[in-house]
Amino acid sequence: MAGLRLEEVHAAHGINGVDLAVGEDELLVVLGPSGAGKTTLLRVVAGLMPAASGSVYIGDRDVTDLRPGSRNVSMVFQSYALFPHLTVADNISFGLVVKDVPRDQVRERTVKAATAIGCEHLLNRKPFQLSGGERQRVALARALVREPDVFLLDEPMSNLDLELRVETRAEIKALHRRVGGTMVHVTHDQTEALVMGDRIAVMKDGLIEQLGTPEEIWNKPATTFVARFVGSPAMNLLPGDGPVRPPDFFPEPGWLIGFRPEAVVLGQAGDPLGSVSRIDVIGEDSYVYLSVGGQSVVARVPTAHRPHLGAAIRVGVRRADIHLFDAATGRRT
Amino acid sequence: MKKLLVPYVIGLVGLVFVPFGVTIAMAFSEYDLINPPVWIGFANFVELWGDGVFRTALMNSLVFAAIAVPLRLILALALALLLHRRAFLGGTARTTAALPAAIPEIAYGLLWLWLFNPLYGPINQFLGGSDGLTVFGRTPPGWLTLPNDARAGIIIMSLFTMGEMFVILIAARQALPRDAYELAAIEDATGWDVFRRITLPLMAPALGLLLVRDTILSLQLSFTPALVVTNGGPPPYATTYISLFVYRNAFEYLRYGYAAAATVVMLLLTIAAVAVQWRLVSKMRL
Repeated sequence: MAGLRLEEVHAAHGINGVDLAVGEDELLVVLGPSGAGKTTLLRVVAGLMPAASGSVYIGDRDVTDLRPGSRNVSMVFQSYALFPHLTVADNISFGLVVKDVPRDQVRERTVKAATAIGCEHLLNRKPFQLSGGERQRVALARALVREPDVFLLDEPMSNLDLELRVETRAEIKALHRRVGGTMVHVTHDQTEALVMGDRIAVMKDGLIEQLGTPEEIWNKPATTFVARFVGSPAMNLLPGDGPVRPPDFFPEPGWLIGFRPEAVVLGQAGDPLGSVSRIDVIGEDSYVYLSVGGQSVVARVPTAHRPHLGAAIRVGVRRADIHLFDAATGRRT
Repeated sequence: MKKLLVPYVIGLVGLVFVPFGVTIAMAFSEYDLINPPVWIGFANFVELWGDGVFRTALMNSLVFAAIAVPLRLILALALALLLHRRAFLGGTARTTAALPAAIPEIAYGLLWLWLFNPLYGPINQFLGGSDGLTVFGRTPPGWLTLPNDARAGIIIMSLFTMGEMFVILIAARQALPRDAYELAAIEDATGWDVFRRITLPLMAPALGLLLVRDTILSLQLSFTPALVVTNGGPPPYATTYISLFVYRNAFEYLRYGYAAAATVVMLLLTIAAVAVQWRLVSKMRL
């Protein structure tokens, strides 16, 4: 097994110098909004797009100038890219057959991969006879069968419904634990990233904003972008000298205070007054949007204790729950 | 909205159904444009069965279709796969490949009459060596004078008019999903594997449809060249195809009933060929 390393990689479509190392049994999730360059990054690793400069290593091999077929990677496409004219078995074994692996081995490895994914009962079907979730499994089995050095998954769950997605992300994580290997999973879904990733690389504008474990990303966002992109609703970000801040806390000028909706303390004496401008009830919890001194703050409260629309209520936050950022650079201070 | 269908229905009835019915009826009668048609039952078909010229024409047509149709399809596919990408001069190349199909058939025939001329035609000039033999060491082809060379000539003429197939196949190729090819690249499939295992099966529906259509067309395709370039010869009937046979009998010998009977035979054969192909094609489809 191998591991993956990118050094100062630039590429067209906005990859602006990415340094990244993925361990040999690591599942790295690349997270970012549309246009951040996640898929492009994956395509550069796969060799479907050339790197304008920089190097890509798989294990010790410099694969920067190798064609995709020589890199020993496999990829699950967002569309799954199953061949409509081939059965599931022939789809899974495609990579083996074109590499002239002996026929009995092809059969054996195909069945093994299909069994690992739980689609062995589908082997004789054609893709059009499969549901979305089944297609996704077949695409995973196909990626697995060649035992590649690096697995690349390009938003493989974006076409599944929510329930199936929740199930599938647990399965992929469990699968990764079983088979190991370097896995790079691209998604724009922050929950998926937090649940699945050994580490998460948050991308923006073709650069990695932060690379860290899900805990680090959540508890210590490196930039205001990461802070607001991870978490829903997004973290509150207010000027340091703004209306809402912990008591007896005096930030330097040019700082931003960030705190998550669940950290907001409502109704504590001494805090400034805000008025409730909107309430989103999401089952157990509700998100209360408040207007405080011209700033907007969102708070998560139990639905049973939610205030009335238009009510005036005191809004505060504890010292331990705040993140501080430099307003000029957006970096954590 | 139904009113919009009226012109179409009039055209369909006037140009397809009525001539079709008249042809069927005429096939069972004797008619020379002057005397009223006389019902003669199956006599025309019986005569066709024993007519050596008809059998020659039938064989010529079948051989032509069996060779020209696959060659046209292969040529159109090869060019489409070569030229479907955006590339330097790609547009020019595509236009060049498609253009011969747009030339009026008579003009196209006259052009080839010159190209095929054994003495001063550029093709034989090009093939000719210094010793009176061709560069391949055989006597120069007698395009307009030797039966097999003439048949080959008609087939060669038909190849360059595959422009419409070429355009359809380019569209079909461009409609294939890009990620299928990217996946193939990642799985290290070589060019031949990609063609055999991806491109060909995914394009099979379009190819099948074109095969069927071109088979139907092939019976007409050979008409103008045979009329203009070889005049059905070299004598007696080397390039007399069924279409030309029908034309001669109807418009030169004024045997409309006999010509109609030959048309019906041609139609039945076409239907049979299409039915066989359709079965093959539907097996390839999803």
